[in-house]
Amino acid sequence: MFFQQLINGLTTGSAYALIALGYTMIYGILGLINFAQGEIYMCGAFVAVLLLATGKVNFITAFAAGMGSAALLGVVLERVAFRPLRGAHPLVPLISAIGASIFLQSLALLLFGPNNRPFPVQFEFHTITVGDVVISALQGAILLAALILMALLMLFVRYTRYGKAIVACALDRDTARLMGINVDRMVALTFLIGSALSGAAGIMMAIYYNATYPRMGLLPGLKAFSAAILGGVGNIPGAILGGLLLGVAESLGAGYLSSGYKDAIAFVILILVLLIRPQGILKGKGH
Amino acid sequence: MLTLKSVQAGYGRLPVLKGISLHVRAGEVVTLIGGNGAGKSTTLRAISGLLPIWRGSVEFNGLNLARLTPEKVVAQGLALVPEGRRVFATLSVNANLELGAFHRHDKKQVRRDLEEVKERFPILRDRAHQAAGTLSGGEQQILAIGRALMARPKLLMLDEPSMGLAPRMVAQVYAILRKLKADGTTILLVEQNARAALKLADRGYVIETGRIILQGPAAELQEDPEMQRAYLGKGYREVWE
Amino acid sequence: MTAYILHLAIMAGIYIILTISLNLIIGYAGQVSLGHAAFYGIGAYVSTLAALNWGLPFPVALVLAILLAGACGLALGLPTLRLKEDYLAIVTLGFGVIVDLILLNLDITGGPDGIGGIPAPVFFGVSFRAKPLYLILVGLMVLFTLVLTLRLVHSYHGRALRAIRDHEVTAQVMGVNTPAYKIAVFTLAAGLAGLAGSLYAHYISFINPETFGLHTSILVLSMVILGGMGSIVGSLLGAVTLTVVPELFRRFHDYQDLAYGALLVALLIWRPQGLLGGGKMSLKFITRRE
Repeated sequence: MFFQQLINGLTTGSAYALIALGYTMIYGILGLINFAQGEIYMCGAFVAVLLLATGKVNFITAFAAGMGSAALLGVVLERVAFRPLRGAHPLVPLISAIGASIFLQSLALLLFGPNNRPFPVQFEFHTITVGDVVISALQGAILLAALILMALLMLFVRYTRYGKAIVACALDRDTARLMGINVDRMVALTFLIGSALSGAAGIMMAIYYNATYPRMGLLPGLKAFSAAILGGVGNIPGAILGGLLLGVAESLGAGYLSSGYKDAIAFVILILVLLIRPQGILKGKGH
Repeated sequence: MLTLKSVQAGYGRLPVLKGISLHVRAGEVVTLIGGNGAGKSTTLRAISGLLPIWRGSVEFNGLNLARLTPEKVVAQGLALVPEGRRVFATLSVNANLELGAFHRHDKKQVRRDLEEVKERFPILRDRAHQAAGTLSGGEQQILAIGRALMARPKLLMLDEPSMGLAPRMVAQVYAILRKLKADGTTILLVEQNARAALKLADRGYVIETGRIILQGPAAELQEDPEMQRAYLGKGYREVWE
Repeated sequence: MTAYILHLAIMAGIYIILTISLNLIIGYAGQVSLGHAAFYGIGAYVSTLAALNWGLPFPVALVLAILLAGACGLALGLPTLRLKEDYLAIVTLGFGVIVDLILLNLDITGGPDGIGGIPAPVFFGVSFRAKPLYLILVGLMVLFTLVLTLRLVHSYHGRALRAIRDHEVTAQVMGVNTPAYKIAVFTLAAGLAGLAGSLYAHYISFINPETFGLHTSILVLSMVILGGMGSIVGSLLGAVTLTVVPELFRRFHDYQDLAYGALLVALLIWRPQGLLGGGKMSLKFITRRE
C-alpha cells in the first residue's frame, strides 16, 4: 500500500511540480502570483482533447498544440491583465489575476459545458506488478515526461543567454535593463515557458484521470501554489521538490487518513509551512 | 561625445536635478563630485534611461537619448557601473560577464572580449564559476566594471566605485581606472571621494542640490578654496563661540 | 412583486455587511481574503446548529456565529498576516476549500444536502418571519455594521490602519504594531461575515455548502472592487448594484461569472478606485505607481 501510494503520489506530484514551476518563475520575475495558472493548465488539456477528438491529428501534434495554446494564453494574459497594472499596489494585480481566472473558467464552462470529457485516445498501457504494487506504464510515462521537461527547463535557465537574462531580471530588474535586457520581453518569455509547462501538466492529468472539464484547474492550481511555497517561492528546484513532496503527502494522507479530506491536505501543509518555515524547504525569495 | 543641457528630472513629483549641464569629450575622464543626495546618481540614472527626463536634452554622438529606454541606451554604447555594484548574486562570475554583452550579437567578438576582460582582471578568471554573491566587495566592484566593459562601451559611467570598500581595495579599483584611462577609455566618474576622483580625472564638475556649482580642469578644482573646504577637508578648523 | 423587492432588499443588506467586512480587510489591512464566504458559511452553520440542535434563542445563536467566525479568522490570521499579501490570499482560498470539505463530510452539517427548517428569529416573543420585519432586522444590523466600521475607520486606529496599508514599514517604524492591527481587522471582518451568515440562514431557512463556496467569495470581492477599495460607502453601492443588476439580466445568468471576472480586470485597469473613487474616501494607494 505504501509503495502504491508513493507511486500514485509521484505521478500527480509531477503535475503539481510542473505547474509550480510556472508559479515560481513568474513570482520570481514579477513578484506576482498568477492565479490563472490553473486555467492555463485547463486550456492545455482542452486544446489537446478537442484536437484529438477530431481524429485528424496524432497525439504528438495535439500535445504540442495544447502546450502551445497554453503558452499563448499565458502571454496574452500577461499582456491584458498584468502589464497595465505593473507598479500598482500588489493587491491590484493579485485581484486582477483572480478576475482573469474566474473569467477563463466561466468562459470554458460556456464553451464546453460542465461535463467531463474522457480522453479521446485510448492507450494500451502495460501494468507491472511488483508484489502487491501495481505500476502502470502510464504513470511511468507521465513521470518521465515531466522529468524531461523539468530537466530542459533547468538547462535552459542555467546555460542559455535568455535563461540567464530571466534570472538577471528576477534578481535585479534595473541592473538587468542596464545590460540591455528588455525586461518586458523576458517577462513575456517567462509567462510563455511557465504556461507551456502548466499546459503539459494539464494534458498529462487529462490522460491520467481520463477527465477534462472547465474547473479541472482550480484545485491543482492551488495545490501547485502550495507546492511552490513548500519548496521556496522563486526557487526552481524547490518548486519541483515541493510538487513531488506534496503529491506524495496527499496520496499517503488519502490512503492512510481519510480520502474525503484529500484536497485539504495541501492547504494544511501550506499553513504549516507558513507557520514553521515561511521561506520554504529550499530558500526562496518570497515573503 | 556626451552633452547634457539643463536636464531636469526627479522621483515622483520631487525634483532632484534642477538643470544639469555638462559634457564629456571623447578620450576624457570627467568626474562629477558631490555629497549625499546632491543628484550624482540621479544624473547617471537619467543619462542611462532608468529615470525619465522631465526637461532638457541628453545628446550622445549627436543622438538624443532623452526618450530612450535603458536597453536602447546601452546599445548606443553607454555602459553604467551602478552604485553598490549590483552584481547578479546567484549567477556565476562568467554569467555576469556574459550578461554584460547581452545586447551584442557578434558572438565571436564577445567570446574574445570575455577572455580579454579575464586577462585584464585575473581574479575574475580564478572565480569564473563561483556565484558572484560569494565575492568580496572589492572583487564585486571589479566584476561590475568587467561586466560593463563587456558591453564595449564608448563611454563608461561609474557610480561611486569606491563606496564601501576598504582603502586597499579603493586603491586597486582606481589603479584599474587609471589603466582604462591610459587605454583611452572615455569615462564619466561619479564620486563622493573627491580626492581620488580629481587625481584621476581631466575635468570635474561639482554638484550640489541638483545644480552644478563648480566646474573646471581637475587640477584647478583641486586648488579651488571652496572645493578644498567643502570636499577635500583642507583648512578645516573648529569654530568656537 | 412587493415580496420580491423586499427579498432583494434583504439580500442586499446581507451582502452589504459581507462587502463592508471584506473591504475592511482589503482597503484597511491591505490584504485580500478569497475565503470570505467560508466565514459567512461558518456563521450560517453555527447559528443554525445553535438554534436547531441546542435550542438556543436567536440572539445567542447570532452572537455565537459572530464569535466562532471571528475565532476562525483569528486562527487563520495569526500565522499568515505577518507574511506578504499573496500568502493570505492563497491561505484564505485554501481555507475556503477546507471549510467546504468539512461541511460536505460532517454528519452534523447534513453533507451536501445541507440543513433545512431553520427557525425565524424571535425577539421578546416577536417572530421576525414576515419579510418587512426581517428587513428591519437586517437594516438594523447593516446600521450597526456601518456605525462600527465608520467609527473604526475615522478613529486613531483607522489612521494607524491606513498608515499600514500605505506603507507598512514606515508605520512600523512609527511604532504601530502592524501585525496586531491586521489580525484585529481580519478577526473583526470574519466576525461580521459570521453575522451576515447567521442573518442569511434564519432568513432563507435552508442552507447547504454550495452557497458558501468560491463563487460567493468572488461575488463579494467584485462588490468591493466595484464600490471602491477602502470606501465604506462605496461598498454599500457595490453590494446593492451587484445584487440588483444580475436580477435585471436573469436571462444571462450563465454569463454571470464571466462578467464578474471581466469586471474585476477591467475595473482595475481603467478605474481601480471603483465607483466612489473620486470622493474623499478614495485611496490614492491603489493607483500609486513606482
